[in-house]
Amino acid sequence: MNSHTRLPAPMGLLIDRERPLHFQFDGQACQGFAGDSIASALLGSGRWLLSRSFKYHRPRGPLSMAGQDANTLVQLPDEPNVLADLEAARDGLVVEGQNFNGSLAHDRDAYLGKFSRFMPVGFYYRSFYKPKGMWKVWEPLIRKKAGLGVLDLGFRPQYYDKAYLFVDLAVIGAGPAGLRAALDAANAGAKVLLIEQQPVLGGSLTYARFDIAGTRATGLRQELLAAVEGHPNIQVLLEATCNGWFTDNYLPVIQHKRLYKVRASRCLVAAGAFDQPVVFRNNDLPGVMLTSAAQRLMKLYAVKPGQRAVILTGHDDGYLAALDLQEQGVAVAAVVDMRAAPADAAMAAELKRRDIPVHLGSTVYEALHEAGMRHVSGVDIRPITGQGKVGPHGLRLACDLLCMSAGYMPVYQLLCQAGGKLAYDVNRDEFAISNLPAGLDIAGSVNGRHALGNVLADATRGAADALAALGLEAPVQPVFSAEAKVNFPWPIFPHPKGKDFVDFDEDLQVRDIVNATRSGYRDVQLVKRFSTVGMGPSQGRHSALPTARLVAHATGRSISETGVTTARPPFQAEKLAHVAGRAFDPYRQTPMHRRHLEAGAKMMPAGLWQRPAYYGKPEERERCMQEEARHVREKVGLIDVSTLGGLDVRGPDAAELLERLYTFGFAKLAIGRTRYALMTNEHGVVIDDGVCARLGEQHFYVTATTSGVDRIYQQMLKWNAQWRLDVDVTNVTAALAAVNLAGPLSRQVLAKVCDDVDLSAEAFRYLGVRQGNVAGIAARILRVGFVGELGYEVHVPARHAERLWDALMQAGAGLGIRPFGVETQRLLRLEKGHVIISQDTDGMTHPAEIDMQWAMGRKKPFFVGKRSIEILEAQPLKRKLVGFTLPKGSPQPLEGHLVLDGADISGNVTSCEYSQTLGQIIGLAYAGAHQAKPGMHIPIRVEGGKIVQAQVVKLPFYDPENIRQEV
Amino acid sequence: MPFALLKYGLSADYPVEVDLPPPCDLKPRYDVVIIGGGGHGVAIAYYLAKYHGITNVAVLEKAYLGGGNTARNTAVIRSNYLTSEGVRFYAESVRMFQNLSNEFDFNIMYSERGQLTLAHTDATVRAFRQRAEVNRHFGGRTEMIDRQQIRELVPSLNLDPGHLPVLAGLWHIDGATARHDAVAWGYAKQAAKRGVEIHHLTEVQDLLIRNGRIEAVKTNRGTVQCGCVVQAVAGASSLLMAKAGIRAPIHTYPLQAMVTQPFKPFLDPLVSSSALHCYVQQTSRGEIVFGGGSDPYPLYNTRSTLDLKESLLAHAIEMFPFMANAKLMRQWAGITDMTPDYSPIMGLSPVHNYYLDAGWGTWGFKATPICGKTMAELVASGGKVPELIAPFALERFSRFQQVNEMGATAASH
Amino acid sequence: MKILTCPLNGPRNISEFTYGGEFRHMPDPANCSDAEWADYVFNSDNLAGVVTEWWLHNASSYWFLAERHTVSDQVLRTFDPKELFDRRVDFTPAATPEIAG
Repeated sequence: MNSHTRLPAPMGLLIDRERPLHFQFDGQACQGFAGDSIASALLGSGRWLLSRSFKYHRPRGPLSMAGQDANTLVQLPDEPNVLADLEAARDGLVVEGQNFNGSLAHDRDAYLGKFSRFMPVGFYYRSFYKPKGMWKVWEPLIRKKAGLGVLDLGFRPQYYDKAYLFVDLAVIGAGPAGLRAALDAANAGAKVLLIEQQPVLGGSLTYARFDIAGTRATGLRQELLAAVEGHPNIQVLLEATCNGWFTDNYLPVIQHKRLYKVRASRCLVAAGAFDQPVVFRNNDLPGVMLTSAAQRLMKLYAVKPGQRAVILTGHDDGYLAALDLQEQGVAVAAVVDMRAAPADAAMAAELKRRDIPVHLGSTVYEALHEAGMRHVSGVDIRPITGQGKVGPHGLRLACDLLCMSAGYMPVYQLLCQAGGKLAYDVNRDEFAISNLPAGLDIAGSVNGRHALGNVLADATRGAADALAALGLEAPVQPVFSAEAKVNFPWPIFPHPKGKDFVDFDEDLQVRDIVNATRSGYRDVQLVKRFSTVGMGPSQGRHSALPTARLVAHATGRSISETGVTTARPPFQAEKLAHVAGRAFDPYRQTPMHRRHLEAGAKMMPAGLWQRPAYYGKPEERERCMQEEARHVREKVGLIDVSTLGGLDVRGPDAAELLERLYTFGFAKLAIGRTRYALMTNEHGVVIDDGVCARLGEQHFYVTATTSGVDRIYQQMLKWNAQWRLDVDVTNVTAALAAVNLAGPLSRQVLAKVCDDVDLSAEAFRYLGVRQGNVAGIAARILRVGFVGELGYEVHVPARHAERLWDALMQAGAGLGIRPFGVETQRLLRLEKGHVIISQDTDGMTHPAEIDMQWAMGRKKPFFVGKRSIEILEAQPLKRKLVGFTLPKGSPQPLEGHLVLDGADISGNVTSCEYSQTLGQIIGLAYAGAHQAKPGMHIPIRVEGGKIVQAQVVKLPFYDPENIRQEV
Repeated sequence: MPFALLKYGLSADYPVEVDLPPPCDLKPRYDVVIIGGGGHGVAIAYYLAKYHGITNVAVLEKAYLGGGNTARNTAVIRSNYLTSEGVRFYAESVRMFQNLSNEFDFNIMYSERGQLTLAHTDATVRAFRQRAEVNRHFGGRTEMIDRQQIRELVPSLNLDPGHLPVLAGLWHIDGATARHDAVAWGYAKQAAKRGVEIHHLTEVQDLLIRNGRIEAVKTNRGTVQCGCVVQAVAGASSLLMAKAGIRAPIHTYPLQAMVTQPFKPFLDPLVSSSALHCYVQQTSRGEIVFGGGSDPYPLYNTRSTLDLKESLLAHAIEMFPFMANAKLMRQWAGITDMTPDYSPIMGLSPVHNYYLDAGWGTWGFKATPICGKTMAELVASGGKVPELIAPFALERFSRFQQVNEMGATAASH
Repeated sequence: MKILTCPLNGPRNISEFTYGGEFRHMPDPANCSDAEWADYVFNSDNLAGVVTEWWLHNASSYWFLAERHTVSDQVLRTFDPKELFDRRVDFTPAATPEIAG
């Protein structure tokens, strides 16, 4: 029979036979139908070899057909590590295998499997490093062998976005439990979000069999879907995965190219249970799969999983699967039941009636294959004689499909992420989940209920509990009936020749786990780290249970005590694109931003802001800066200082607040005067500076650094939450724009646009502040000295900023006004020896180190940092910030170069520029306190390791009498 | 040729090499009790046993060996810090790391890849230059490199993320990574071989101090008398110190990290961006590890959060846009003891014979060897503080003498 | 993401808030010893248990206090600072001795 023929309807729930498609795998043409996954289409085409295993490069085919294992990882053109059993097949798709040397069919690295004896667990810790230096030789080779897929370095992200949802109840999983719970809750008035990973609702109802007649699943599914679809209180997300649980039921749900961030008042996880493999030799061959995988293949994709099947089972579901297979034309050579008898005698009778042989108390000891290991060809069945032990003689049966299921492991990940605990129930041989946080609940097979009646009852119970918490009327609590065990206690049969895999992702055999414990790695966490069990892509879905059993047995502890390794988000591997969403990278521009661009400014980042560095091209930087600087010194320049922080402090206690926050005194500051404002933190470290202007008896306007103002504002409020002073603080940084008009001609320029303020030297002295109108705009005008020339800071409401700029530029046009930027300003202020906070100060600088003791108001009973400063001042000063000069033409130190004291480092250069005005290199640097006297020389190590001797000088470098700024 | 492996293949029932001895009872007394069985704790035990002949030592670990921050580590080994005290200290540790596999006969898969830190602002360039100078002063290999050189080192890096183009880089050739668990196992194995006892599932419940001197330690498995005690319990330092009445400037915050599925190798250096609060490295297994800044508020809990993951990975994709298609496999967190100056607390405490190894924040793993060595010297000498760790004394805070490394830690680890 | 209930604005995502440090009583800075002052500046309780701490709601610049368990991360209550600070705080200079007579 043509292996490409699909089974007839009603098989193939997901596929559309009217829409065939064609794609390529491993260079060969393949076909399938719309609705197929890549894996189901490949199997439907007769291709079973999908990948090569991580370490031994063994041939692998699908294990779960549900995206729960890593055997199906394939490479798409722009994406590696794609789960072929989840990814939809598409017309024209080009799919490659991964992790082989040569081809998938003939992998040259397959020989590694023969050397597995030489690679015991943790072998790499014991070798490759002797003699000394050998690891450097081996490491690159080993790194090349590591990894699975190849990342396309040229890939550019597409559009992914995020959305928010708020619901009363989020139900995760739309199998029988999820559907029932969603309905019960929605019928009682709750807003429900139903999240399902598959493209259709139904979960196990779409592939499992619950009765001998085989009709129950379909009937129940139809009934539930009819009620759910279109229900006004239920929003359904299909092909959606809830990938984690975060505090207060914050759930990331990934669907297509969107990450939903769901906030649910209550959350019910009905995610089901993982079908568990049996551990025996060659349990990883293509054609060996979980029983549920074979059922999915038939019912969802209409693919016949083989011609002749053997079913290895630890529960009655295996018998039901035998009926499914036989009805679809697969010869069932045997059901091998590890138990002594099925739970339901009717099962045995039915199989007998259908001539399906049953071997009780037996297991598959080895899956057989032909040369090349491409597919299972038969089984060696043995009687079970003890825990993990089999009899010496067995029965060989031919088959091309081996289904296995040892039982179930709850889908525990989300619940353990939330703090749930796994306890092993020794009566049922199952892990059970408890200790969930309030608001999070479980129902169905994840809660240990497997009989369909109990699954539905548990769903009603879960919905009732959620409704009660939501304050809605809940249905009556249901009744449960007894049900049989589904887990076989010890489905692990080690073979002397090994290849009895506990972890398929990492190629770990029984001996690897046991030997890890024998090496002393006894805690399951150590076993994981030493052997890497559970660290592969499937993150322990199939390996956690056998590992817990093996480690418990080897270390003489209970399985509960042993436990499993920590469950961590994400539940399923998630693309970074989903988590990142759209890039949102805000930054701030001043209201005069356009004018800077028009004037040819080179913009630079200053904190979150963009500011002009200078006005010119990058290659002309030096020349621009020197010209702009000269212009300020000789004529007049204009700089946008809008980013500077501004705080309005008002009220009867305004002065008192400032007295306590800043080092200086402000209580006696006269109205119309300004004063330097220095701020230290509680450690006594200088953290900010600015100018404080008194506009009224109870009104101060304080400026702060661009990056510090928000934090200062918050700290003022925090202190006052404790001090309860009668004061209001408002952060007006963004409300006001400001410029600094500086240079000997600045008064003349300002006079042209300001006629209601007496700008004469006598009326408006240095450090004064006035309020008036500039170019018809209400303005605060401060006389400042930052750059060392006659200068005015003009602050206006931000919406008038461009008008102000234009007016001043126009007023100064005849006088040669020119804009200047931040880097120019840095040079100008350096010529005056002014420190820039966080450039010339660091995380330890206290006022004595920068000669700021004059700015301390010692008589004040308190200011933030006062006591700490006193403690620091009582100790000998270790370093000081000094001014230094070097002759023009000397190698110029860069900021960051070190100041030395013999063989030790005693400081570092914080600012350094060439000053055309002074014809010298000038700078500020920390040096040892004993090196810091003007006249001394400090050695600075510059580029190339050369040492220059810089001369320590008194500050300021330029206009030592401060005549020019005070004119 | 890894001849060591032949013995495994050529014998029918190969000898299982015992790395960690089986559990045993507590003795009534030890000369040295080390509280905390992480990398630091077992390293201290190793140097005591091997270099000082002190073997009547018990390491008491409340969970499993190396199960705290050592297990959760992103394992960045570097010495490109800022202060003389710090660089001198970490540079020595890096030198010790380079030979560690051979020192204790266990492959820690030490991989010298170089660490590249990106500067996006002038201020950062300034700070980096200073760090390069200080590092070279103490024998490290670090230099400033420009955009073109960065492009050559990491061709896959986007040099213009958002509005913050890369201006320069701090290229620390000594930067390396290693198999963090193996560091703990290697030290533990050799310490145990020399007679040190490592006790798992043994939690210290109380410290018995008399006349300002530690006399005994009460555990869930009994009380042991001790000549002296070293505490090395990252994530619980304040809690244990409180039992001794010791106060410290420690705030404990979670630190999150995450890892993708493994890929074939494409990234050699460890790459870090301070402005983007993100660092990226590809492990020997091929996985990509991401780390960022500490959590925003203190917590003794290793829970992961969505918002940190979102901003961290958004920044990672700005640096490496093609990683949008990589899949994240796992996120986790450690619990870090942060200090005001981002430097550790090592040495004496107000309690006689009670020694501190604490305040390791995000800088502990890289210091494992030098910590083991210097704390062992401290213990063996009966409390004489080695010069290398003197700046890290607890009492420096009472003198306001901090060793400020804040600029050199954030998002670099 | 965790929800924090602001006393002023109600329950909001924790990303809307900034942590403001342990709640500490400042010793009298004018009259305490250097050791007491250094302890206040640097040391912290850093408890694994219920702590009282400062939080700021960023958008409204509102400071408040919270009682939170630092292991379970459960917030027991949040409240306005005026519960603990109900009067104006003044600083007096270091005490000067009275001159008799």
